Amino acid sequence: MRQLSLTGAINEALKEELQRDEKVFCIGEDIQAGTFGETSGLVQQFGPDRIMDTPLAETAVAGAAIGAAMCGYRPVADFMFADFMWIAGDEIFMKAAKWHFLHGKKVNVPVVFLAAMGGGFKLGPEHSQCPESVVMHTPGLKLVVPSTPYDAKGLMKTAIRDNNPVVYFYHKALFGLTGDVPEEEYTIPFGQADIKREGSDVTVVAIGQMVHFALQAAEKLKDKASVEVIDPRTLEPFDIDTIVESVKKTGRAVVVDEDTLRCGVTGEIASQIMEQAFDYLDAPVKRVAAANLPIAGGFLETEVLPQPQDVLAAIEAVLE
Amino acid sequence: MTLAKEDLILLYRNMLLGRKIDQLVIAGMATGKVLAFYHSGQGSEGLAAGVASFLNDDDYIYCHHRGHGIVYLLSKGGSGMEFLAEHYGKANGSCNGFTGFHNADPSKGVLGAAGTIGSVFPMTLGWGLAAKKNGRAQVAVGCFGDGSSNRGTLHEAFNLSALWKLPIVWVCDNNGVAQYTPIKDAYPKEDIADLAAGYDMPGVVVDGMDVLAVQEVVQAAVERARAGDGPTLVEGKTTRYRTHSEGSPDIFHIEARPPEIVEAFKKRDPIESFAKKLIEQQVLTEADIESIDKELEETAAEMDREATEGGMPDASLMRASLYAD
Repeated sequence: MRQLSLTGAINEALKEELQRDEKVFCIGEDIQAGTFGETSGLVQQFGPDRIMDTPLAETAVAGAAIGAAMCGYRPVADFMFADFMWIAGDEIFMKAAKWHFLHGKKVNVPVVFLAAMGGGFKLGPEHSQCPESVVMHTPGLKLVVPSTPYDAKGLMKTAIRDNNPVVYFYHKALFGLTGDVPEEEYTIPFGQADIKREGSDVTVVAIGQMVHFALQAAEKLKDKASVEVIDPRTLEPFDIDTIVESVKKTGRAVVVDEDTLRCGVTGEIASQIMEQAFDYLDAPVKRVAAANLPIAGGFLETEVLPQPQDVLAAIEAVLE
Repeated sequence: MTLAKEDLILLYRNMLLGRKIDQLVIAGMATGKVLAFYHSGQGSEGLAAGVASFLNDDDYIYCHHRGHGIVYLLSKGGSGMEFLAEHYGKANGSCNGFTGFHNADPSKGVLGAAGTIGSVFPMTLGWGLAAKKNGRAQVAVGCFGDGSSNRGTLHEAFNLSALWKLPIVWVCDNNGVAQYTPIKDAYPKEDIADLAAGYDMPGVVVDGMDVLAVQEVVQAAVERARAGDGPTLVEGKTTRYRTHSEGSPDIFHIEARPPEIVEAFKKRDPIESFAKKLIEQQVLTEADIESIDKELEETAAEMDREATEGGMPDASLMRASLYAD
């Protein structure tokens, strides 16, 4: 099958949706060039009115996208780095997330907030975060985190067609990851976890780049244990059923995410597993996440962020 | 646009009905009927009616928080009854009783209300962007107070509205005080309209107590926007008759706000001075003014009755309201 990189898959999804619906447009800083390639080449085809470069003005980017969405457009607001979305916190968390609910369902906000997240490049605390937990925490926002080019494309197309605000985080370490992407049209529904590797001894729930750490660990352990790796793909809506079914089978669970441990996504998922599958657990659920510290730059980054060996060690520990 | 007799009467009615509804909310605060809080808009009705009375239904407007937007809302064709019912927490409120004080009527271009001051500059930019993309000569009117003008969101939105020549009219209700902070301690110049020069857009100061002066200035800005010539900043000088919110002290920092400020403005009350003008110009007689007052008193009372009789909000609707289908 045809291979695409993860950013190439996002790019193709944007291109197809821009073609399909004239209400779709992209807006952000330097998206005509495309900082990570996610929007490169689109302005040549769709022109500057639909691939809108802005100056440094995150609140205006978010607000312009949200406002236009309320008037019937389907903007994709590209923040470059997920960390930069915090600048537009009021717009994203208090306006996009709440206005449909607050205003009697009279206004819709069909906007996609697109941003690259995650560490691995020693960029320090303001260019390396995986701020998923705050988004998952906020009622009214949907949250997509793909781990493969196939998922990245299908989920982006669904995100653009959704009538609600969708935050779409893709991990920097996966930009160049290549994988099968069919040439035919497809979308992936939200709220359907994907079992990336089947197994029977332990369930590993992993998100974004951590899916690949989990798959590597599963491969290393294959002679000792059968590891099932589940990628939720969307954190809101969240497919707890697939995870609970798996835990009922394996009796053990590890939850892995690159966001901060305290009040992070792993805590929420672990709680849901314990609420719904406690009687099936043979060991406490283990969590692997970033330390409760700002993400240090330089040599110290790996001391803060979860590493492949941490995932491996957690799986081994829960199997003991 | 030359105003016909019925246009002049419309301006008068919008101001007067707005003040009557404002008074009902204040009364409702005292009795506990209003569940949240209220930031009265008395003193700035002339600005609000002058801005919003002659916009089209498909023009977008942000009604800003003074008076919770009531005069803007009425002038744009929104429902005073739903406004009251929302304040009473009832299911027939403009937001199904979900908010306590917000308003929204997209059929009249009112897309919602915000709780954080200065947060709607960026979304107004988006409405203006949509208006330009639509290509139907719509305008977006972004109303805000002098307090909001201190926010950084203003800069980002003003800058891009001018850069992209969006059909936006920015309207500042400068009542001279933001909660307890007088404007002199928040902004180093006399006129907020001076900000416009930095964005290469016209900035106009107008007497916000004079509804006709406001209407004329805003009309010119709206025409400029519809013609594709970009945004304008209009600053109306007004006052705030009452405190920041009902029940809060009327102070500058920790000292009493000098009463002579409001007294001077009250001598030029936008409703009374316009009534006088309408009589002088023989548009209306004193008997007409009296009869309009009586009629709107009954209109407001009827809105209040209907709002009060509204059902309790339906908690079971909340989960289904989180997402659009």
